[in-house]
Amino acid sequence: MRRGAAITFLAMLLGFSTGAWGGEKKVVRVWHTETEPQTVAVMQEIANDFEKLHPDISIRQEGLAWGDLEAKLTAALAAGAPPEASHGQAFTCASFYHKGLLRDQEDIAAAIGKDNIFEVARNLCRFDGRYYGITHSPNTNLLIYRKDVFRQKGLRPPATWDDFIKVAQAMMERDATGRVTRYGLSLPGVPLFVNILVAELTRANGGRLFDNRTGRPTFTEKQVVEVLDFYKKLNDTVLPPGWLGHGYLDTFTNLATGKAAMVYQGHGRSAGYIEKYAPPGTGTPEYFGVMRKPHGPSGKDTAAQVDAEPWMIFKNSKYPEEAATFLKFFFQEKNYIKYLHTVPIHLLPTLKSVRSSQAYQANAMYQRWKEWVEMDYYYFERDLAKPTLVVNWDDLKLPFLLEIFGSNILPDMVTDAVKGMPSAQAAAKAQARAEELITKLGHKRW
Amino acid sequence: MTQPPSQGQPWRQQLIGVLVVLPALGLILSLIVYPVAYSLWLSLLEKHSFFPQQRFIGLENYLYLWGDAEFWTSLWLGVIYSFWTILFQILLGVAAALILNESFVGRGLVRGIVLFPYMIPTIVAVILWKWLLNDTYGVVNYWLFALGIARDPISFLGTDHIMLSTIVMSVWQFFPFVLLSILARLQTIPEELYEAAKVDGATPLRRFVHVTLPQIRGILFVVVLLRSIWMFTKFDTVWLMGEGAGAGRYIRTLPVYAYMRTLTYYQAGLGAAIAVIMFAILMVSTALYFGLFREEADIG
Repeated sequence: MRRGAAITFLAMLLGFSTGAWGGEKKVVRVWHTETEPQTVAVMQEIANDFEKLHPDISIRQEGLAWGDLEAKLTAALAAGAPPEASHGQAFTCASFYHKGLLRDQEDIAAAIGKDNIFEVARNLCRFDGRYYGITHSPNTNLLIYRKDVFRQKGLRPPATWDDFIKVAQAMMERDATGRVTRYGLSLPGVPLFVNILVAELTRANGGRLFDNRTGRPTFTEKQVVEVLDFYKKLNDTVLPPGWLGHGYLDTFTNLATGKAAMVYQGHGRSAGYIEKYAPPGTGTPEYFGVMRKPHGPSGKDTAAQVDAEPWMIFKNSKYPEEAATFLKFFFQEKNYIKYLHTVPIHLLPTLKSVRSSQAYQANAMYQRWKEWVEMDYYYFERDLAKPTLVVNWDDLKLPFLLEIFGSNILPDMVTDAVKGMPSAQAAAKAQARAEELITKLGHKRW
Repeated sequence: MTQPPSQGQPWRQQLIGVLVVLPALGLILSLIVYPVAYSLWLSLLEKHSFFPQQRFIGLENYLYLWGDAEFWTSLWLGVIYSFWTILFQILLGVAAALILNESFVGRGLVRGIVLFPYMIPTIVAVILWKWLLNDTYGVVNYWLFALGIARDPISFLGTDHIMLSTIVMSVWQFFPFVLLSILARLQTIPEELYEAAKVDGATPLRRFVHVTLPQIRGILFVVVLLRSIWMFTKFDTVWLMGEGAGAGRYIRTLPVYAYMRTLTYYQAGLGAAIAVIMFAILMVSTALYFGLFREEADIG
């Protein structure tokens, strides 16, 4: 009798531990970088709707700060427990592809229609003709300025970096004692955004960061050195003295509260902050506009960074197929539009059909700030927007961008220059560090 | 003839003793010895942080660090940060403990409030200080300007002042630990010692030097030791203040550098080598400290 009870108990325990008891759900962990509460809520709604259709699957979403994503993903991979699906930067996706960690997404691309994917989203994480990452939404970083001040001073949009500094200086304001009450520009000094801007400015100056054939860094080339000269000039003339300690959100605060006349690395998301925090009556496109970014002395055309985290599916995760099924559901027009509308000017559609759909355009905020969205498409349609650290699309074939990004070599180079080191010397120092890192990683090909 | 009861029993008792100690030994081996030994082993490898590829390279990582300017800068920044934070934590903690050991109205409330910084999560404390010290909208700059102390905003979080700001913030956050430890000891000093000193005409300063200080030196020894270890290995506060680059480069201490090598450069071997060096520095410093303050160590 006692033995029988013991066997029954052990069998129950075994049943519970193996999940055989009552059928354990397949937990699909989804990490994303859209942490605003309304987006998280809509993601949860989408997950709930999906779970109703797939009762054996449970979606666990987690919103992560953009700047923390790479470190968190790396830690998860190191622990051998990657999430099923996650946002990543394009270079992260590329790096993980090169390391053989990703499941391809041809089936998802086919489900949403390959021709339906915007051109700008096609190269973010596609290798050998196959998709390994499809972005949840592309947008570009924008040069946002105080339109009222600009008009009041009778200024003209700057074409070159030198023009830009003149415009920024003209938009500065001082009090009777000469103290600056409004700076010409606000820039984030945190590493992620310095990495982004160095690549973007290099592109706008007709330069490159790596030799595509050998992968050798090219930081000492004239175009990159001129980027550092530009940083120095901005630092000496129009930026707040403590800008290297400023975060991304500090720059929005500075713009919205009138402490700065322009931000160079704004995003559509800023429109929401402006509506919320600008002084009453001024939080409108009449006061805050966007203009085309200038180019450098060696460049001919402008450039912007495309902010478009591809969804990645880790093939070594527990339920990659279920994650793919969820992403197909996520991209279904009804769900997708609901998601995009949580941050209307920032989350632009990956799908052409959505952009032209009435349901998508019928959003009051979208209509109010349409001018900003059009600037995004200006960059998209001319292939002027590239992802973080990418100057040429072929850079994504380099297997070490993730490590270059994480090493902070580029932000250190800028800090050195801004703190007084001659630009050429700062570039040479960074070049040596990058070459050494690439060599140590075993990717040296020169 | 019966067996003497003592025969065989010592062996059994010893076995029981060993069995009783085994779980603790197992815990120590798995939670302390194994991670340290694994770090040592890792530091001899060239290893990607999340890839199984690894190659034994002997002492190459250490040789690399010997010639790595970033490593020496980080070590120096770490020493500066630890030294000043420990010094001011001790000064402030002891002074506050002496005050809170006196009787005054509302002492209980003040004793509670003064512990707040130590109870606040680091992330909240850092956000709070960053907000206070911001050069464009921070409250500190606002008051410095309003009171005519500063004409232009001071960039407390910029490259020139970020180390100072991080030290101030850390002292604020961690001095309550010193306060608590010293206060606990102060409350056990017999009142008669002070009364005897007063009868002998000792001034408050002399009473502190000749009565209080000798009484608290044992606990002070322990507090300095613990705080030195904790501040030298402090990661969260320093990382959150600067994220390792931009202005944060000026507070890139050794723990931050070890983290960066491991999880942003993805060089687990080098990261482990830095951790092992930190461990060695702490071991040597602790041994020296015990040697120099043998008497206090015995009391502590």
